[in-house]
Amino acid sequence: MPPRLKVWAACRALSIRPRPLSARPPLRCAAVPVRTFADSTNTTNTTPAVPASKLPEGYEDPEPESQAKKNESEHDDNVLQALDKLKMISYGLNPFDPAVEGHKYGLPQLPLPSPMHMKHRYDDVVVQLTKLIMRDGKLSKAQRDMAMILNYLRTSPPPKINPSKPLMPGSPPAAHLPLDPITYITIAIDSVAPLVRVRALAGAAGGGKALDIPVPLAARQRRRMAFQWILDVVEKKPSKGSGRGMFPTRVAEEIVAVVEGRSGVWDKRFLLHKQATSARANLNYKAPPRRH
Amino acid sequence: MSASNCLRCCLLRPSVVGRAGATAATAKASAAATARLRQGMPLAAAAAASFSTTANRGANQKPKPGTKAAERNAPPSIRQGKLFTIKKKKKNDSGARVKSPLPGERKAFRKRILLSNTNALPVPGLTDLGAESMLDPSNVCKVLSLPDDVVDQLRADEAFKTTQCWSMFRKPSILIRTETVDLITRMHAAAKTNKTLRLVLTGDRVTGKSLMLLQAITQAHLNDWLVVNIPDAQELTTACTEYAPILDTEPIQYMQQNYVLKLIQAIKKSNEKLLLKLTTVFSHAGLPQNIPIKSPLMQLANSAKEAEGAWAVFQAMWQEMTAQGHGRPPMLLSLDGLTHIMRISDYRTPAFNPIHSHDLALVRLFTDHLSGATSLPNGGAVIAATNRNNAPRNPSMELALAQREAEQLGGGKDVPQPQPYLKGYDERVEAVLRNVQVIKLQGLSKLEARALMEYWAASGVLRITVDEKSVTEKWALGGSGVVGEMERASLLTMRF
Repeated sequence: MPPRLKVWAACRALSIRPRPLSARPPLRCAAVPVRTFADSTNTTNTTPAVPASKLPEGYEDPEPESQAKKNESEHDDNVLQALDKLKMISYGLNPFDPAVEGHKYGLPQLPLPSPMHMKHRYDDVVVQLTKLIMRDGKLSKAQRDMAMILNYLRTSPPPKINPSKPLMPGSPPAAHLPLDPITYITIAIDSVAPLVRVRALAGAAGGGKALDIPVPLAARQRRRMAFQWILDVVEKKPSKGSGRGMFPTRVAEEIVAVVEGRSGVWDKRFLLHKQATSARANLNYKAPPRRH
Repeated sequence: MSASNCLRCCLLRPSVVGRAGATAATAKASAAATARLRQGMPLAAAAAASFSTTANRGANQKPKPGTKAAERNAPPSIRQGKLFTIKKKKKNDSGARVKSPLPGERKAFRKRILLSNTNALPVPGLTDLGAESMLDPSNVCKVLSLPDDVVDQLRADEAFKTTQCWSMFRKPSILIRTETVDLITRMHAAAKTNKTLRLVLTGDRVTGKSLMLLQAITQAHLNDWLVVNIPDAQELTTACTEYAPILDTEPIQYMQQNYVLKLIQAIKKSNEKLLLKLTTVFSHAGLPQNIPIKSPLMQLANSAKEAEGAWAVFQAMWQEMTAQGHGRPPMLLSLDGLTHIMRISDYRTPAFNPIHSHDLALVRLFTDHLSGATSLPNGGAVIAATNRNNAPRNPSMELALAQREAEQLGGGKDVPQPQPYLKGYDERVEAVLRNVQVIKLQGLSKLEARALMEYWAASGVLRITVDEKSVTEKWALGGSGVVGEMERASLLTMRF
C-alpha cells in the first residue's frame, strides 16, 4: 500500500534552528534546540530536555528576561519562515533545494562541464595548436601568441570565401566567423587538413624501390599536418612591423588567407591528395613473409 | 661517347685484341658490334667491352699544353703556396623574393592605433560624453563613448596607447570611475577660480593611469580648454632626440628643437578651433617669420616649419596662450611617464657631465608648473601620470608621492620618512613634488567591474553571462579589480 500524502507530516520534518551557531548559549544539555511545529502557537511550553535536578551544581540559567524576549521575536521570525516554506510546498517547489539553500553561488553543475576542469580549460584544437607554436617549452608565451592570433581574427573583417577552395561542409557563414575566432581557426585548419598521408614502404616495389601507400589520418594528425604547413609558410614570410606581436600577426594572416583560398597550403593539400590517389593501386600490397 | 670510342678502338686495332689473347667469344662480340656499326644502329651495350683499358688511358692522357683544360688540371706551382678561397654564398632561391619594409615602416606598424572594430556589435543605449558628463556622480559605473571630433583631437594629442584595447570595440568608450569624477571635479573647481590644479596620478601597473589622463584631456577638449600633452616623457630624457644649449641661461639649459616642432604640430592639430579664434597680443622678435599683433595664433604656430627656430616659436606660443586678461581659456598641461623626467637624463654636457632632466627647457617648463613655481594665469590643470612598466628606479619620487598620499589621508605620524642609508635621493625631485595633489588609482569596485563587463558583453567580445558570479570571478582574477588584469583575464585569453 503506498504511503498516504500528508501535508502535516511534511511539516513535522521542519526543524527550526536559531541562525548563528556562535550565538548559541554555551553548551549544556538543556540548550538542545527544542523541536516545535509550525502550527504550535504556544511558545512557553518549552520543557527542558533535562530536568533541573540533573543539571550540574552552581549552574545558572543564562537566559534573563530580555534574552527570552529576543528569543521570542526570533521564534516568530522562524515561524514566518516556516510558513513561507509551507507555501512553497503548496506551490510544488522544494523549499530545501540544495542548489539554493546554504550556498552563496549555488551548487556547481554536475557532472562538471569540461571548461571547469583545470586541464581542459581551453578548446581542444586551440590547445593542440598552442603546443605546436610552442618553442623551447615556453608554453606561456605560446598561449599569449595564440590569444593574439584569436584577437587578430576577431578584429579582421569577415573573410571573402573562394568557392573553388570550399571550406568544411556545414561551416557557418563568413559573417559569423570573426566574432567566434575559435570556430574560425578550427574551420581553417580542418579545411586544409589532408585526409591521408603517403607512406613510402622501403624496398616494397622491388629492386630497392620504395612503394607509396596512402594511409588515412586521424583528426588530430590531420590538424597537426595542416598547421605545420601553415607554420612553414609563416616562417618564410617577412614581418611588416616589429615587436612581439608580429609572429601571431603573420600566423593569423595566413589563416585568413587559408579561409579566403589564397594560401599556398591548399596546393600542398591537392598535391598530396593527387599523389595518394595515384598510389591507391598499391593499397592491396601485402608484405612478403619474412625469411629467416 | 667513351664507350663507342672504346669499341671503335677495338675494331680498328685488331692487333691489340690479338695481343691480349682474345677468345672466340670476344671475337664474336666484336664482329657483332662491327655489323651494328655498319647498319648505323646505336651502340648501347657498353659493358660488353669490359676488358678494354682505353677509357683509363684516355683519362690518364695529358691535355694539350696551353688549353684551358690543361690549366685546370695543372698542379699548383710550389711558389704559389696554398691558396685560401672563399666560396661564394649560395643565393636563397627557396621562395619568392619579398620586399623588406622601408625604414620607419616597422615602427609605424607597431605604433599604429586602431580605434574601431567593425565586427564588434554596436552597444545599444551607448551615449556620447557631454561637457558635464564626467562631473555628474550619477554617471559613475557607466560606460560613455567619446564624441568623434574629440577622438580626432585625442589622436593628435597621442593620448591613445597601443597597449589599450581600443581596437576591439565598435566605438572608443570609457568607464566613468569614482576617481574620474573626483579628478574632473577638481579640474573644474580650479578653472572656475582661475587657479592651477597640480596633480599626480599614481598607482600600480595597469590600474588605468594613462586612461585617467585621457579622461582629463577629453574633459579639457569638451570644455574648450587649450591642451598641451606630452604623450611619452621617455622621449625627452633618453637621449633619442637632438638637443642644444640655450644661450644666456644660468645654469645652462637645453632645448630639444625636433621634439618641440613635433609638439607644436600636435598642439596645432588638437587645438585647431581655438588657435584660429584666438589672436596674438604681443609682438615677437626673433621668430622665423614676422607675426603682426592681432593675427590668429594658428599663424604663429604655422611659422614653425623647421626644427631650427621651433623653440622660439614655442616660447612665443606659450606666452600668447597664457596671456592674462585677454579672454584666454583655461589650459591643461599633461604628461605621461613622470618617472622619466624625475631623474638624471641620458644627455651629456660638452664636458661629458650628465645633464639633470630638469635642465632640459621643456621638462623645466613642466616641472615649474607642477611644483607651483609658475602658475597658469587663466586657470587650468597640470597633471602628470606615473608609469610602472618601463620605469627607472626613482626613490625620491616614490617617497615624495607616498608622503603626499599619507598627508592627504591626514596621517601625522604615518608619513613615510627617507631611509637614512639609502643613496640616490634627489633634492630637485623632492622640491617639485613637495606640494602636489596625488590620486592613487586602485582596482575597480565590483559595480564598476560589472558595468565594464556588461559593455564588453554587449559589444560581443566577451561571450559569457555577466552575473554576480562571473563578475566576481574576473574581479578576483584581476587582482581585486585591477582593470588591465581584468582585461587580460577576459579579453586577451584563449577562452571565450
